[in-house]
Amino acid sequence: MNSRNTSSVSRIGSEFKAAFLKDLRSYVRYPAWLLGEFISTPLWFFFFALGVTLFSPTGPNTSSMSGFNFFYFGFIFIILFSTAVWGIGQSVRNEQQAGTLEQFFLAPVNRVTLIVGRWARVFLTDILIVGYTTVIVYALGNEQPVLHNPALFFLSLGLYEVGLIGFGLFFAGLTMRIKSYNTLSNMVFFGYMILTGALFPISVIPVPFRYISMAIPFTYFIDLMRNAALSTSTILPESFEYLAATILAVSMLLIGFAAFNKIEEDARVRGTISAI
Amino acid sequence: MKEVRGLRATTQALGAIFWKSIKHYMRLPGSFALYIALPFLFTLLIFGMGRFVGGGSAPTYFAARTGTTNILVYEMLGSAVWMTSWVVVEDVGVSLRNEQVNGTLEQNFLAPIDRATLLVGMSLADIVITTAIFLVAVGATIAFTMPTDIVALTQAYLTLLIGLIPLFGISFLFAGIIIRFKEPYVFVQIVNVLFAVLTGTYYPVAFLPYWIRLISGLLPQTYVIEDMRQIILANQNMVSLYGNVFVLFALALAYPTIGYAIFKRIERKASVTGEFSKY
Repeated sequence: MNSRNTSSVSRIGSEFKAAFLKDLRSYVRYPAWLLGEFISTPLWFFFFALGVTLFSPTGPNTSSMSGFNFFYFGFIFIILFSTAVWGIGQSVRNEQQAGTLEQFFLAPVNRVTLIVGRWARVFLTDILIVGYTTVIVYALGNEQPVLHNPALFFLSLGLYEVGLIGFGLFFAGLTMRIKSYNTLSNMVFFGYMILTGALFPISVIPVPFRYISMAIPFTYFIDLMRNAALSTSTILPESFEYLAATILAVSMLLIGFAAFNKIEEDARVRGTISAI
Repeated sequence: MKEVRGLRATTQALGAIFWKSIKHYMRLPGSFALYIALPFLFTLLIFGMGRFVGGGSAPTYFAARTGTTNILVYEMLGSAVWMTSWVVVEDVGVSLRNEQVNGTLEQNFLAPIDRATLLVGMSLADIVITTAIFLVAVGATIAFTMPTDIVALTQAYLTLLIGLIPLFGISFLFAGIIIRFKEPYVFVQIVNVLFAVLTGTYYPVAFLPYWIRLISGLLPQTYVIEDMRQIILANQNMVSLYGNVFVLFALALAYPTIGYAIFKRIERKASVTGEFSKY
């Protein structure tokens, strides 16, 4: 049941704030989670960096754009993507397993606001982790991230986040349908890392598979953010790519929203909301 | 409480625990498929990143640092061993915690078998699972890329089996720690990536700073990965690698003994404080 008052902006604001604070409180109640994320995230970065070092030129790097900066931004894109898959999507699953999903859904508030509140908390902690890892990487390797055009970067980041929320909503709906959620989320996560150009440009991908990459909206968000940060060339003409990315982001949000509502309605009819 | 003793009874108990674990796996085929797919996906990812960094000369740079141009086999061997330790840590280390959460740990511990039988029984199922990972990840890769060297697979598999014994010992230790401190997934998350970094999954451990290499030397996977690469890519055998094999046997003796002793100690303490039923 959605509240009749949810059209009010202040109401939505207070719902969002409550959802955000609830999730933040749950998060800080388990310091081990925080510790785990703060330890394992930089370790993943070093793990990949060391693996890639084997392939790097043996002499000094004369490239204007260092591999470090390319991977550094890739690492940020991956962390943010995990927000959608494990942050937003997993939130419904967690409530389901804790047996609190029915109470959650019976509250006279908009479900989407609650889920977006969760996203905001995960986004905040992601930013902290990215900042902390940047400091460690800088201290150890003396490599400094560059950001050539901050305004365009944050615009692209905004589009990416809008797309991610839509994708996350769709995924949150899927958790009510698919019980082996972890397997699916891992496969999607790897698909994202390999196909969207997060960790290497899609020009490295052989041609038949590159078409799959070009059909994934995230490829363009990533391409634009990297273009703004590192002045790399874009896949499509720049202004056209911004237009396409805007349309894709808004479409993803609308589709995600509609899909979540549809799946929830179906689950309510079939009585499977709490089935784990 | 009288415990079941004797070879036949112990074998029956081991068999029952083994089948229970296998049934869990069969009930979740997606998890199993993921374990099989992950070595390929990680290798693909590293390879793609490497191609970007090194361009057309990436294989040359790789060969200069590793002594082999066979990137796929080199990386898949590391991936497969890493996935093996991932499975063992998740299964043996976390399964007791899962029993705790499901409320079945007390029933398990009240069964008239000793804890060692329980832990070894859980480990047995992992031998089957890790064998499947090895056959699909390593076996299939070698069958396609270097079919004439398929015989070397047997020695590589033997090395893996020896390496599993100390790994089980480490997981007994983790099982105790997880029962004591809860939060298994945080723990597993850190341990898995730590193992990947320390054991030379995608690079030689010589790349790591000296003090980190000392820690790597304490982990059985370091020797398993190194030996497998030597056997399959450098035409060595277990006899010529006797030094590493000896270390693996020593670790196979030390870790299960230490792991089980610590597990028993934590278990004794937990039975006094009532820790088993808390989560």
